[in-house]
Amino acid sequence: MIRIGIDVGGTFTDVVGVDASGRLYHAKAPSTPQDQSLGVLDGLSRLAEAMDLDRATLLARTERIVHGTTVATNALLERKGARVGLLTTEGHRDVLEMREGLKDDRYDLRQPPPEPLVPRRLRLGVRERIRADGRVEVPLDPASLEAAIARLREEKVESVAVCYLHAWRDARHERATRTALERLLPGIPVSLSSEVLPQIKEFERLSTTVVNAYVQPALARYLGRLEERLRAAGYAGPVLVMTSHGGVATIEEIVRLAAGAVLSGPAGGIAAARQVARVLAAPDLVPFDMGGTSTDIALVRGGRASVAADRRLAGQRIALSSLDIVSIGAGGGSIARVDEGGILQVGPESAGADPGPACYGRGGVQATVTDADLLLGYLDAERFAGGRMRLDRDAAERAVGRIARALHADLATAAAGIQRVIDTKMAEGVRLVSVRRGVDPRGFALLAFGGAAGLHVSAVARQLGMSRIVVPRLASVLSAYGMLASDLRVELARSHVAEAHALDSSELRALFAELEREGRARLSAAGFDGPVRVHRVADMRYGEQIFEVAVDLDPIPWETPDLLERIAAAFHRRHEELYTYALPDRAPVLVNVRVAVVGELADPPEEPARPAGAPVPPRGRRSIFLDGWCEAPVFDLEALAPGQTIDGPALVESATTTVLLRPGDRARVTAEGWLDIVLPTG
Amino acid sequence: MPVDPITVSVVQHRLHGIVEEMGEAMLRTSYSQILNSSRDFSTALADPRGRLVAQAEHVPIHVGALPFAVRAVQAVFEGRIRPGDVFLLNDPYRGGNHLPDLTAFVPVFADGRHLFWSINRAHQSDIGGATHGAYNPAATEIWQEGIRVPPLRLYDAGTLREDVLDLLALNVRHPRDFKGDLAAMIGSARLGARRLEALLGELGTETALEAVEAVLDGAERRVRAILAGWPDGVYRGEAVLDDDGHGRTDVTIRATVTKRGSDLEVDLSESDPECAGFVNSSYPNSYSACVVALAYLIDADIPKNDGAFRPLSMKVREGTVVHPREGRPVTLCTNHCGQEIIEAIVKALAPACPERAMAGWGRRFRVALKGTDPRNGRPFLWHLFQARPGGGASSAGDGWPAAGEWQAAGGIKFGSLEVHEVRFPLFFARHELRPGSGGDGEHRGGPGAILEMRIEVAEPAVANTAGDGVRHGACGILGGKDGAPHDYRLRSADGSERILRTKEVGIVVRPGDLLVARSGGGGGWGDPARRSAAARARDAAEGYVQEAPEGGR
Repeated sequence: MIRIGIDVGGTFTDVVGVDASGRLYHAKAPSTPQDQSLGVLDGLSRLAEAMDLDRATLLARTERIVHGTTVATNALLERKGARVGLLTTEGHRDVLEMREGLKDDRYDLRQPPPEPLVPRRLRLGVRERIRADGRVEVPLDPASLEAAIARLREEKVESVAVCYLHAWRDARHERATRTALERLLPGIPVSLSSEVLPQIKEFERLSTTVVNAYVQPALARYLGRLEERLRAAGYAGPVLVMTSHGGVATIEEIVRLAAGAVLSGPAGGIAAARQVARVLAAPDLVPFDMGGTSTDIALVRGGRASVAADRRLAGQRIALSSLDIVSIGAGGGSIARVDEGGILQVGPESAGADPGPACYGRGGVQATVTDADLLLGYLDAERFAGGRMRLDRDAAERAVGRIARALHADLATAAAGIQRVIDTKMAEGVRLVSVRRGVDPRGFALLAFGGAAGLHVSAVARQLGMSRIVVPRLASVLSAYGMLASDLRVELARSHVAEAHALDSSELRALFAELEREGRARLSAAGFDGPVRVHRVADMRYGEQIFEVAVDLDPIPWETPDLLERIAAAFHRRHEELYTYALPDRAPVLVNVRVAVVGELADPPEEPARPAGAPVPPRGRRSIFLDGWCEAPVFDLEALAPGQTIDGPALVESATTTVLLRPGDRARVTAEGWLDIVLPTG
Repeated sequence: MPVDPITVSVVQHRLHGIVEEMGEAMLRTSYSQILNSSRDFSTALADPRGRLVAQAEHVPIHVGALPFAVRAVQAVFEGRIRPGDVFLLNDPYRGGNHLPDLTAFVPVFADGRHLFWSINRAHQSDIGGATHGAYNPAATEIWQEGIRVPPLRLYDAGTLREDVLDLLALNVRHPRDFKGDLAAMIGSARLGARRLEALLGELGTETALEAVEAVLDGAERRVRAILAGWPDGVYRGEAVLDDDGHGRTDVTIRATVTKRGSDLEVDLSESDPECAGFVNSSYPNSYSACVVALAYLIDADIPKNDGAFRPLSMKVREGTVVHPREGRPVTLCTNHCGQEIIEAIVKALAPACPERAMAGWGRRFRVALKGTDPRNGRPFLWHLFQARPGGGASSAGDGWPAAGEWQAAGGIKFGSLEVHEVRFPLFFARHELRPGSGGDGEHRGGPGAILEMRIEVAEPAVANTAGDGVRHGACGILGGKDGAPHDYRLRSADGSERILRTKEVGIVVRPGDLLVARSGGGGGWGDPARRSAAARARDAAEGYVQEAPEGGR
């Protein structure tokens, strides 16, 4: 039987098939932004061709398709989601627009306020109120509710979000509201805050529910269409979709919790990172995906990716458990400029793909990181992107020349400066996901993804004292492949605010058990009957702190008699790890309990290892700039023999990336054809 | 040979990364609501001459005051500063803003030389004195406002002076919270010191020092380039406080701003005489307010360091409200009259740089409530952060809705009402935007907010207020109208209503009383006649201008 992973990117749709022997096939089709399913079907045809099958046969033999889609993300980024109406507790219609009083840039008083996702006239108060302890203060008033719904009907809303105060505690008014909506506005999807995110803190819950309502119709339409097309093409198995937390879900589940698809874009990269961790037995990795405009950085620790619950996209707060990925405005297309103070700045402005860097010859005149890379000899003007594109060296010289003149420096110094500045920014980005999360990155390996990463990882790793870098051969294929190795995952959370010492351990166990039951039920409903794994987390804080710390409860034996003491101790330890101090004489407060119920899917069979062979010599030499000009050998990544080692300075090129080895770096070619690079320490 | 320009850029980024990381650590570890919610703290690096090298973007009003604090510590301990030391200070007559702002200093050494300070200034939830929560409108001298801390050694070469800590903790109302916050402050400052030492080691001390000079010079050049583009001249602006809480009304700040070439001199010496109450501004705070005004008028991405503010000078006269004689009370000054100093300067310069100037942001009106929670019998202390006033409009567009005051500008998080209801005996019946409160103009001021909150105590609670702006709203500029002023009331179950003044102590709050706070809107920018028909139609459709009938509950 065959498994297929499909990763839809901005430009290409990558399709990977693995057959029963572990043999891997890959096809690439242009992405079709208007309807991504067309590109997917096209990609499947091409994959069938690569496997010497017709598409119907391929699909008939396929047991599972895993899909990563950006439909929900794009709907939010491009503000092309549904026209949403919001029903909320009377007296509280402006929670979304008030943003808890915060504004992003404290010194920019000329920044116009953001346009809320739901305009004020579509945010309507309903007479009802539940108290913090769950008691009903004001019963849900049917007249007020019906008047609000009538208003939404007049306004022709396409999706409705409902978020009442304290619905995390008692959802009865939200449920009754849904019943009324189904009756009075049939066919319009409804998102209840008590189902999307049953957690205390109304702004996070409301914003997440609104995002859910906003992207859900577009996602449902797309996945419905895709499933229909796949069925028509002869596929009968399940279609699983990558979610923001890095697991996969059935179409029904992901549509219900559509906000969980919004941050799923980089999930493929994380899936790939987990795959690398498995293959190399390197459980601690920092995936580092450097593209044209931004770099996504994450953390995989002990083979598990970190999750966070405070992500934002396009200015919207999404408080669902999501992979903890930091995106910084630094990429190959980042623009360099010298400010009025005479100081070199690089990014966050980017030349993007169009016009792109000056050396693309598409009319870009500003110097970018890629232009600097070309002038330093790191890129081959004739072989860029596998030779599909010739780089314009003169244009790069003109662009970087302007920077050099402003700095009173020569061309190479200016170009090397652009590199150093961008490397500094990216190293700060790695600190964000590691040091600022209480993790020392020095024991981690940096995992280089994306076309631009290979030239920068060595310098970034050095700044952080990291001594190992891994560069996979075909990162895009690895993403799709990694998806095939992702498990079914249901993330559930409930608020239960109480001081830890006032809790009853059997009550706490019961709460976790309830979530676990719900998660298992969801897996069964998705037709899953394999082995299940459960992870438990508690969000805790000291007294008046407002940020909770996620405490991993998995190391605690669940039936231990001193469960509460062990949980409190784990919290104090984690607090100290994160923030250098703990207050062990204080009773912590437990705020949320979280459960991940994971349905384990069998990993795809491993790719047969490539045999070791005689070292392959460089295909040429090039003059490159590292402190000064020097000659460096240039290797072809595709041609290298497993087991071969390469010492820096050297360049290793492939169709999608170029890797720079600095003096002292030593790369070993793995059985998979990846580079495993060790940096000098000390 | 001068340091290469690339290293300069790298150093600028690294310094910024360090202060940001210090701030992040503080935000997540501080214990009190006022620190983690309102983010009322700053992290910075300075050199021993008090020159600010980098500052995280936290509290603007702290920026310009920190150099005075560094110089005060240096003056006392010069020659006796060792690795592992930690110093404290809060006295506004010795480099502090006001007493609640306590500052921790950790020296940074390289090659055996003391080269920098890593600094954390944070607002304490209590600092002793006659009232809880640090704001005492009744105070007529600084000793009634809290404990004064001159430059003080807390750690001696790594050893905590426990007796000193006990002395401080004994003089504040919540010693455990105080110690928790202090631990967070020191942790944050030590983190900055460690990272800066690593940077010095990596680049070599001399190179790093030269790069720092170049970073400061770079910021100076950027600011001068902007100032040079404004027409030379003498510009005048005024801003008026409601009162001093002791019977004097309309306390006026007068700014005469002389712009010549790329220099800016702010002369505040014609401002009104010092007051009996706590609206006086300490000298460092007044200078800092000038710095904030300039920071808002230049580009937001210019690093806030010593270089950026070299073009600025301030003139004040002792005995005025902006430079009181030692001993006057000053606690409200980071809000008032700090904000009025900013406002007077921005108003003065609006004709010189209309595209850069912004209309007034709202004023602060705080309420601190002390009582007993009937659900558990425990005492509680609560500060009002909800009902943020509106932001001022600018050339870029309408003002931000409910985003806060001049000196905070969207930096104060009011937090979850649900969490408040769990934690305090409070019931939030209403918290929404206040239509019609933003000043009209080509660009409209942001609306303030309406809060209706029931205080569910069983025994009477006590409230204090501290603030301004029930008579004067946020100023409109360039023809724009002022925002509506604040209107706070306490409504009892029997229907009786009491209008709250901005500077009161000992207000008795009866069980079930409703606090109805209608906060002011931001000022408008430009002639209202130029507001587009589309913008007016949108205002009407979305309900931003029409004051709704007293609805809700």
